[in-house]
Amino acid sequence: MSQWLKQVIDRGQAIDDWLSPLRAQALEALGNTKWPNRRVESWKYTSLAPLEQLELSPSTTAGKAIIEDIEGLNSLDLIFVNGKLQSDISLLSLPQGLHISSLLDASDKQQNTANALFAKIKPQRHLFGLVNDALAEDGLIIDIDANSKIEQPIRIVNISSDGQESHHRVLVRLGSHASATVIEHGQGEQASLSTGFAEYDIGEQAYLEHYRLAMHTHQAIHIGGDHFSLQQKAQLNSTLIAYGSELSRMDVDIIHNGEHAKAKFNAIYLLGEAENFDLHSTIEHVMPNGTTKENARGIVGDKAKAVFNGRIHIHRNAQKTLAELHNRNLLLSRRGQINTKPELEIYADDVLCAHGATVAETEEETLYYLLSRGISRSQALVMLNFGFIQELVEQMPNQHLAQWLKPQLHSRFVEMEVK
Amino acid sequence: MSEQLDQALSRKYDAGFVSDIESETFPPGLDEDVIRRISAMKEEPEWMLEWRLRAYNNWLDMEEPDWAHVHYPKIDFNAISYYSAPKSMADKPQSLDEVDPELLRTYEKLGIPLYEQEMLAGVAVDAVFDSVSVVTTYRAKLEEAGVIFCPISEAVHKYPELVKKYLGSVVPRSDNYFAALNSAVFTDGSFVYIPKGVRCPMELSTYFRINEENTGQFERTLIVAEEGSHVSYLEGCTAPQRDENQLHAAVVELVVMDDAQIKYSTVQNWYPGDENGKGGIYNFVTKRAICHTNAKVSWTQVETGSAITWKYPSCILKGDNSVGEFYSVALTRGRQQADTGTKMIHLGKNTKSTIISKGISAGNSNNTYRGLVSMGAKAEGARNFTQCDSLLIGDRCGAHTFPYIESRNPSAIVEHEATTSKVSDDQMFLCQQRGLDPEKAVSMIVNGFCKEVFKELPMEFAVEAGKLLEISLEGSIG
Amino acid sequence: MLKINNLHASVEQKEILKGLNLDIKPGEVHAIMGPNGAGKSTLGFILSGREGYEVSEGQVEFNGEDLLDMAIEERARKGLFLAFQYPVEIPGVSNMAFMKESVNAIREQRGETPLTATEFLKKAKEACKQVQLSLDFLKRGVNEGFSGGEKKRNEIMQMILLEPSLCILDESDSGLDIDALQVVANGVNSQRDGKRSFIIITHYQRLLDYIKPDYVHILANGKVVKSGDASLATDVEKEGYAFLGQDNAEETNA
Repeated sequence: MSQWLKQVIDRGQAIDDWLSPLRAQALEALGNTKWPNRRVESWKYTSLAPLEQLELSPSTTAGKAIIEDIEGLNSLDLIFVNGKLQSDISLLSLPQGLHISSLLDASDKQQNTANALFAKIKPQRHLFGLVNDALAEDGLIIDIDANSKIEQPIRIVNISSDGQESHHRVLVRLGSHASATVIEHGQGEQASLSTGFAEYDIGEQAYLEHYRLAMHTHQAIHIGGDHFSLQQKAQLNSTLIAYGSELSRMDVDIIHNGEHAKAKFNAIYLLGEAENFDLHSTIEHVMPNGTTKENARGIVGDKAKAVFNGRIHIHRNAQKTLAELHNRNLLLSRRGQINTKPELEIYADDVLCAHGATVAETEEETLYYLLSRGISRSQALVMLNFGFIQELVEQMPNQHLAQWLKPQLHSRFVEMEVK
Repeated sequence: MSEQLDQALSRKYDAGFVSDIESETFPPGLDEDVIRRISAMKEEPEWMLEWRLRAYNNWLDMEEPDWAHVHYPKIDFNAISYYSAPKSMADKPQSLDEVDPELLRTYEKLGIPLYEQEMLAGVAVDAVFDSVSVVTTYRAKLEEAGVIFCPISEAVHKYPELVKKYLGSVVPRSDNYFAALNSAVFTDGSFVYIPKGVRCPMELSTYFRINEENTGQFERTLIVAEEGSHVSYLEGCTAPQRDENQLHAAVVELVVMDDAQIKYSTVQNWYPGDENGKGGIYNFVTKRAICHTNAKVSWTQVETGSAITWKYPSCILKGDNSVGEFYSVALTRGRQQADTGTKMIHLGKNTKSTIISKGISAGNSNNTYRGLVSMGAKAEGARNFTQCDSLLIGDRCGAHTFPYIESRNPSAIVEHEATTSKVSDDQMFLCQQRGLDPEKAVSMIVNGFCKEVFKELPMEFAVEAGKLLEISLEGSIG
Repeated sequence: MLKINNLHASVEQKEILKGLNLDIKPGEVHAIMGPNGAGKSTLGFILSGREGYEVSEGQVEFNGEDLLDMAIEERARKGLFLAFQYPVEIPGVSNMAFMKESVNAIREQRGETPLTATEFLKKAKEACKQVQLSLDFLKRGVNEGFSGGEKKRNEIMQMILLEPSLCILDESDSGLDIDALQVVANGVNSQRDGKRSFIIITHYQRLLDYIKPDYVHILANGKVVKSGDASLATDVEKEGYAFLGQDNAEETNA
């Protein structure tokens, strides 16, 4: 057993709170886990060495945080610094039907909600999901009543600062016919480790609009996951924006537990310098008549490395499923690296499934077309190469968020091009 | 509809007869002594024995791989016999007239009339029965062209320098578990050498058959195509119907020098086991080619047999402008499990690869495409195109696609597409409305699905492959 | 040739045909018209034996035999041909291979020897010419990437090749421009020989300007509500299906 895992287990066992019974299973599973090396399929291309080398102490004090305002977004902000909730929920004016509490001071009723969600949607196979099960003491329980349409986006921010380790957890339940927008926003630059896992139970005919902004860079190690369960006729529209750091990893699971559910998942990764980003997504069609569209697009420059593993799993019973996954990549540098693996695993015959993956450079022909219209070469390259990223940004339902993101992504891209 | 299809798919295995031939077979078990005995039986030189023993020691240190999407009980390598030769081989036949007539009848049942092939098709055949090369036809004509086509055991004696130089040069002794095992115990196989600038005057062909109970077959094929040469090589396989699983762990190495081309076609129809998954061949095969500048390798395979198929014919595109192609049809039914695909390793500049894979799953089977396309840092301008299509027949089977794509060069382009579909009720209805019975309709639709691959096969093989699919899909329609 | 007596049929428990009668003699051309949802296409599918259609009552006799008892391909081999409204694509299977298989299956039924490749090719070329399809279409996959009009002409080409005794054309005119419509009509007319019978299913009268029917039947609400000669089609064209009455109009909108 690795030293790192051992100290996680020891610390997990020492925690005594109302979540302890829920942690027990994770602690047991961790006890039987081998520390992954390159021969473990889910960590084939991403090394955990930066994590092991990190000298961290579990965060005890939280710092002050300054959160950038997103123009026009008008969000309900819940700010974590190093995994500790800074916002005073009691000061927020919550719309009717929306209930938010922290894990630390959950009422009995909220604890019941948490019990029904905690590690119930997130599959056990995610090693760091188990770590988060064991160590996350703070976090949020968000409950949205049936039929409640929450217009105001809920933004959950976690900021990691130097030398800190943090684990936070988000549990969200949407009642039937409810709708909501949740933005999970993480950032940090300095040597730190954060894990952030969220579980969403989307009720019958409910709609969740979701964003994950994994904007950790440099030495800020982040390992997280979003895990969605869709009930009958539920709908999900999720977008992931990822930068890369020494070690940055996201696991996403979209599970169709009810018939006629619809999921759309877009992911964008823009990696420069020596950044790494690893995305593993799994779409589970357990029930019939579901639809999934997944689009993952990335640009990799300099010495960066992107890993994408997109799995579609159609269970025996999931007839009449429509599932599509496309992954497009652009490699800008000969020191960079792209590893992609779209997977199909199909056990039902009356389904339409397709996946595609490309790794390509700018097409000369298209470039020529733009040049012939008088556009400068550098501008044309930006247009062409950034265009396919921009396309996904524009698909984001929340235009305020899109407008805020665009210039950031653009300048990140231009910097990559220059190098 | 799917019930009809199921019935259509539950046909009997046509090549499942057992030949009554007296054999000399080693008792089951594997240790250094067995390897020494194999080597001694073949009167091998010392270097060959040493090579085998080193491979055996590599193998002992290795673990059986478990990453493939297949499930089977652990193989007991000590329950297998590692050598079996028809007794009448003891004094080797000098011509077909001296071959055991029963053995020739076996080939006839398989549809490989040696005489006919000699006379009509002009195909040179090296038939491997269990572990020993039976006879190599059409030698004279090949010798004239300077082409060497002989059992590898003979090549060890006659062309030791060539064998020493190339054996293990593409698939090293310790490459993987099954390749290491093969290196230790391989009993026979074919050796082909095409001299510089020579276009092989005929298609070369090998038929493999496992006859004896509890025997493993470990053949080793080595083809060396010198600069500017061309050769097309065909390989066919069958095995009798037995309740026990039989192991087939072959290694094929292709060395393709500058400007040379090898086309390697396989029709594999090993016994797949019965409908409950009893018996059948475990087919664990390592096939790899190394391509030098401007060289081209084309792997075409039609896989309809075996209980388990574990096979990834690969190309190392080392030389600039070299080309690798992989065309595959894999049909699984009953309880068959196939995990097959290819690896295209692009190292040189402007290297190109094409992968077309058609998987058909029926019954309770599982059919997996697994592939790797790797673009090395120096593979300027390299291109790959991959198309993987799966066809599902019935709702108890599985179709899976696991393509690995690794790119380290910004000017390389990789495109991968995969789709799944089923034989639709509308297609069946149209065919039947035009007077075709359901069996014919299914086989026609499936053949259409596989067309892009069949057109890559040499003519007579394409016909055989089409028929094989048809037979596989044949049965009583209610 | 074909006698339909009190035919009741349903799809997914919904009754579509509710007591249909029709009597077709050799050499006759019958047009079946009617509003959308009247059950026109259903009739074609039931006669050809498509799965998913449940016959609850009535009989269909084809040349003295019980048609409903036969398998799809048996009906085809005995001379029943359906030109599909939406022909399906069969990728990779060439039109030529498909038709050769089909022609010979039908010849075998008739006790005739299979055609040789040369004989078949000659006939196929002839049939293509008649519907103005270039010979390339023989080599292409069945309907693979064909335009709507090409698919329709391909159906008529197949009809010519297979020499059926009863041809059912299911909206073979839909989506065609006037030139293509004439090509289809000419193809059909060339096959009228006084023995071969036709059922022409159409929504509009315009195809019947080119293929003159002996009888026109108006199908509404699962029954033949009116029969007459070719002039009935012209009446329908002028007045629409409004004369069927309010009840039926609602039914069809449902």
